[in-house]
Amino acid sequence: MSESTKKNTDKKTVKGRTSGQFRCLYCFKRITAPPGAKSTTCPHCGYAWRISWFSPGEPRIRGPVWENNEAMTRKIMAESKGGSK
Amino acid sequence: MALKRKIAYIDLTNRTVKTASIPIELRKKFLGGRGLDMYLLYNHMEPGADALGPGNVALVSAGLLVGTLASASARIHLAGKSPLTGFIGSANCGGFFAPEMRLAGFDHLVIKGKADKPVYLWIHNGDIEIRDAGHLWGHNAQDSQTLIREELGDDDIQSLTIGVAGENLVRFSCVMTSMKNAAGRTGIGAIWGSKNLKAVAARGTMDIGIAHPEEALDYNKEIITQVTSAKVSKTMQKLGTMFIWGTTNTTGLVRVRNFQSNQIPHADDIEPESIEEEMIGTAGCFGCQVHCRGRYFIKGGPYSGTYAEGPEYTSLGAFGAEVGCTSKQTVLVGNHLVNSYGMDTLETGSMIAWAMELFEKGILTEKDTNGLDLSFGNNDAVIEAVNQIAHREGIGDILAEGPLRAAEKIGQNSIQYLIHVKGMSNLHSDERPTPALSLNIATASRGADHLRSRPAIDLYHLPEKVLRKIFGNPVPYDGPLTSDFRDYEGKPWEVIWQEMCYGAVDCLGICKYHTVFLGPNMPNFDEWSKLIYLNTGLELSPKDIWDSAERCYTLEKLFNLREGQTRDMDWLPDRYFDEPTDKGLPVVRGRSIDREKFTKMIDEYYKLHEWDKKGIPKKAKLESLGLNNEPSHQL
Repeated sequence: MSESTKKNTDKKTVKGRTSGQFRCLYCFKRITAPPGAKSTTCPHCGYAWRISWFSPGEPRIRGPVWENNEAMTRKIMAESKGGSK
Repeated sequence: MALKRKIAYIDLTNRTVKTASIPIELRKKFLGGRGLDMYLLYNHMEPGADALGPGNVALVSAGLLVGTLASASARIHLAGKSPLTGFIGSANCGGFFAPEMRLAGFDHLVIKGKADKPVYLWIHNGDIEIRDAGHLWGHNAQDSQTLIREELGDDDIQSLTIGVAGENLVRFSCVMTSMKNAAGRTGIGAIWGSKNLKAVAARGTMDIGIAHPEEALDYNKEIITQVTSAKVSKTMQKLGTMFIWGTTNTTGLVRVRNFQSNQIPHADDIEPESIEEEMIGTAGCFGCQVHCRGRYFIKGGPYSGTYAEGPEYTSLGAFGAEVGCTSKQTVLVGNHLVNSYGMDTLETGSMIAWAMELFEKGILTEKDTNGLDLSFGNNDAVIEAVNQIAHREGIGDILAEGPLRAAEKIGQNSIQYLIHVKGMSNLHSDERPTPALSLNIATASRGADHLRSRPAIDLYHLPEKVLRKIFGNPVPYDGPLTSDFRDYEGKPWEVIWQEMCYGAVDCLGICKYHTVFLGPNMPNFDEWSKLIYLNTGLELSPKDIWDSAERCYTLEKLFNLREGQTRDMDWLPDRYFDEPTDKGLPVVRGRSIDREKFTKMIDEYYKLHEWDKKGIPKKAKLESLGLNNEPSHQL
């Protein structure tokens, strides 16, 4: 184990944590949701997410806003013809 | 000290018990838990033995760090030849049994032969007694634990037990401890049932003997902070392992109606947040601060008022998405029943989902099911099917045989609809968009398996710099690594790295949720090296731990080869290649696995392992790991 790892693993790790945000599952950018919000739309890509709060300041994606996201996906798929890689 | 625990050899046929010390060199090579179990299995089972015959062995092993001041060190590992697959039988669980067995003086049990009537083992401060279990036979896994405590007059006794599924030789039956801790996969419960072994009970007060107790305690505080500050842990404290569903179903990575879709929309009732509304709190395993195990009472229906624990993520699929059900009541009741009967929730749900698709396609009819309507979404039928499997009644008797035997009995083209690898069903996940996870289930030593390797952080879109930091330690790797989970390049190494990560903690007895499984900043080889030294006094570098994990995995491969495994078994069901996904986010929709690219991945995977084109470990590799003389019969 290196000295730097040995000394401060836990403190460095805690410092590096992000809280109050979650990543959009479509564009993977971080989103900050209004406190207590039950859903929010990603300002970067437009996908909409239902949110739950596992602690007062910690949101997570509960699921998609189905109709919104399905419509967006169909549009994107049509434009990209499958988005194959 | 922690290293002075013994191994016991129990012959149930002759009712003899012998004990021995464990050579320190074997400790260093295999650590404990799964590692030493694989050594013992390869050395003690006659090649080709019947998995349900007296020639099979039932192994019970505590991990090296179990019962010490290392966080979440609660895992007990069980092994034998799998009655489900005919290959490696291996499973572990948490709870409180493993530390109790160590406190009672033993790290490893090698159980051979077959008792002429039901028995259980009673381990107490250096002694092992074979006792009559006639009064326990027929009881469920949890009541059996209570009855043992009452019989021996000690409420602190911890037991491993089988339920009626194990007694009935259901080929995917579990060994259980506490309410829901299940050594779930590969049918270890049926091995115990075949030996008339109902339980192993332990109670001990022998000091573990920590090598450097003050430093170990201080360091463990750091580990606890590292683990509990992670978002993944904080989420699990509220939602348990179910929390994963939020990402997988949202993205489109779950299998629905057996394997007919990859997302179940509008299934709000089985979302973890909905199930969490039923919880009365959470519980944890020995030495764990996360407490991910839900506690609940069933409300309504024939099981109303029953106390249960869980459900885990897998049960959301088993009694939800896979069987086309969207009722949390079905998930909660199904979870309770499989734990009570001692059956693998994952395999049970998969077998029912498969039968439902056969029913939908007319391969099974109501004539075959004695009138049971196995339509997808039929909640009552799912619960009835669970009962029938455990008791081997009706169609349940066929499903209890596991995927390949059941397909052989049903015939027609039923095998085409199985989602299995090597005769073991897959988790309710859909890996068609994710080549890394596809490779993981295709090559895993147990069968379709998310617990031998699961490079799940491949899904996180982490920058290459971060990936290199994780996957380049403790063994340097300068090959390709990419942030796109749809890629085929670089993924074989991720699969191997995760094999060693999981292998290491399975040898140490630490929970996988305290590793780089779902959190890139969780403890890793560096931390385990320090934990081993402070708790046991053994000086093992991160690379030494990696090597132990690799020995373990290589022995599993050697065992499987000895039992007839071939390269073509490291493969996926045809549907992964031929049926593209139909739902989910754009990144996963319309995806299937490319046969040619996948073949190249397997070639690369073998090459990185230093196995030949047939998947046989090369002589030089065996020599470098010190496995060239196995079986060596040193223990």
